[in-house]
Amino acid sequence: MSAVVRSRPWLLTLIALAVLVAVNTALQPSFVQPAVLQSNLTTFLPLTLVAIGQTYVVMGGDIDLSVGAIAALVNVVTVSAIAAVGGDGLTPIIAGLAAGLATAVVCGVINGVLVAVLRLQAIVTTFATGIVFAGTALFVLPQAGLPVPEAFWRSYGATLIGLPVVLWILLAGLAFALFLGRRPFVAHLTAVGGSRVGAFQTGLSLSRVRIGAFVLSALFAGFAALCLTGETASGDPLLGQSLALSSISAVVLGGTALSGGSGGPVGSILGALVLGMIGNVIFFAGLPFAWQTLVQGLIVLAALAGGVLVTRR
Amino acid sequence: MMKRTATRRAVLGAAALLAAGGLVAFGGTAQAQQSFKIGLSNGWVGSEWRTQMIEEAQAAAAAWKAKGVNVEVVVQSATVDVQGQIGHVRNFINQGVNAIIINPNSPTAFDPVFAQAKARNILVVSTDAEVSSKDAIYVGIDQKDWAVKSAEWLAKTLGNKGNVVTINGIAGHPANEMRVAGYREVFAKHPDIKLLNQANADWDQAKGQQVMQNLLATYPNINGVWVQDGMADGAWRAIEAAGKKDQIAATGEIRKDFLTRWSEQKLNSGASVNPPGVMASALNVAVHRLMGKEFKDGIFKGQYGNAIYIPIPFVDNSNLAQALKQAEGKPGYWSVTAVVTPEEAQQYFK
Repeated sequence: MSAVVRSRPWLLTLIALAVLVAVNTALQPSFVQPAVLQSNLTTFLPLTLVAIGQTYVVMGGDIDLSVGAIAALVNVVTVSAIAAVGGDGLTPIIAGLAAGLATAVVCGVINGVLVAVLRLQAIVTTFATGIVFAGTALFVLPQAGLPVPEAFWRSYGATLIGLPVVLWILLAGLAFALFLGRRPFVAHLTAVGGSRVGAFQTGLSLSRVRIGAFVLSALFAGFAALCLTGETASGDPLLGQSLALSSISAVVLGGTALSGGSGGPVGSILGALVLGMIGNVIFFAGLPFAWQTLVQGLIVLAALAGGVLVTRR
Repeated sequence: MMKRTATRRAVLGAAALLAAGGLVAFGGTAQAQQSFKIGLSNGWVGSEWRTQMIEEAQAAAAAWKAKGVNVEVVVQSATVDVQGQIGHVRNFINQGVNAIIINPNSPTAFDPVFAQAKARNILVVSTDAEVSSKDAIYVGIDQKDWAVKSAEWLAKTLGNKGNVVTINGIAGHPANEMRVAGYREVFAKHPDIKLLNQANADWDQAKGQQVMQNLLATYPNINGVWVQDGMADGAWRAIEAAGKKDQIAATGEIRKDFLTRWSEQKLNSGASVNPPGVMASALNVAVHRLMGKEFKDGIFKGQYGNAIYIPIPFVDNSNLAQALKQAEGKPGYWSVTAVVTPEEAQQYFK
């Protein structure tokens, strides 16, 4: 049992998720209705996507604190591009999506080059680039606003072949994670995170692998921003401020070691869902508002500590 | 040891959850006919003003009981970003509340989720900050008028002439922009009032003090200061430190600590009141609406055409003693407040 858990730490996360779902359903019987499930998934999806991207950076032994700022920047670039192109139909929307995702890639390359090529510390570098990205977002759109076309947010809330669009997006993220897990890139990344010197001595291009991880992280932050744009139907330069630390919590909850070299995005998806469900359970338990933040912190702490303690033994 | 602590916490947490769950289930069965469930969402927990806002709303809900109306409030209050607060709203919708009252973190980002609430026949009322959604209404003060009132007081106090500086909140914040527009409009009417400088101090008391020090050092001939909210406390400290409290008139703020100093130091001040009771006022309006009353025609104003503006009290030396009396026995951070009572809320309805 212990060996099974140690090689698949996300099993614990899955159990935690099942418990939270059961508790939530007991507190709120309507939880299992499709509409309620969809609305919950819509709330959790941005963090889930960011956590997938963050996993690759953490597996490579780095950390990305700028994901929240990247999400804000992508959001304001997307809505500004849509407004700049103007008009109806799909053209402005596609232009907005392209501009937003291109911005994300540029942010990821900047992070990656600073960390992997210039060899700056990932934690301070991405903290600083995060401030730069957030400042750029304020420069692009100084005040919240700029509504997006109705087609944009209506299709985000719609269903496709019987399933909600948000579920398709989650499934696409999962499929991507599983696909990439079979590619040499993830093996290289694990090697780089596990033993940087060893990986270098085998002839791996360390900087290319690490830059790749930062670009993936930024790209997933970009996807999250597009989801947030679909959810809020407007631009807000102050969006996503809690994403960075929450995504790191989700990654750790999902069994990826912060020291790098182990873990995977499937656990992070579960970790993000666990974090979201904790917030739900707190609400439906009807705790007095002054206690909500404290109890939430304690449960997250217990979940993190529980996972670490069980896998350590 | 660490594990034991974690376990104990988990056990305690589980016990609390179970107990709370039981309470929720019990409350759910006690539905009478005139019974409403209202969700209150607050997205920023950075000041006592917000805490007072929620507590007054809870008290207002409890007071409806005497009128035979059972108003149950559910509160979600935490410092969250926009998607976190959208989560608040979704939880309320999923719980099946009758109305949602929200102090929103963004003027525009709630449009889709408010549309969903409206589709479920849930009344959405924003307070303290206006929202663009046509599926919501706003009950609160007119931020522009708030600034106009204090700017007019300052102009009058200065005899419509003199050198004035202003200290504002966060540039780009909707309430700040409306307030700036308000005082500019007033001062533009008085050509003898010269606006020397308009600074920002992010609604931070310490920053307000620092900015005021700089302004005093730069301009030795300041006659008047227009400054917002808690920053006024900081600005006045700088003015007092510079020994200019008898030469300068400046706007003030509404917390008890400041009112006390204002009275003791005999400051030349006046303050528009943004009452923490806004959420309670919004609640009283919402309950009338939930009871099936219709709004009067033409009641909605504002840039989004969905705002009901409530009265803005004003404190100056003529009624300072009265304000202090209201604050008696309250903690120092308590703000002067006012609530649109259920009877007064009646005036907005047919």
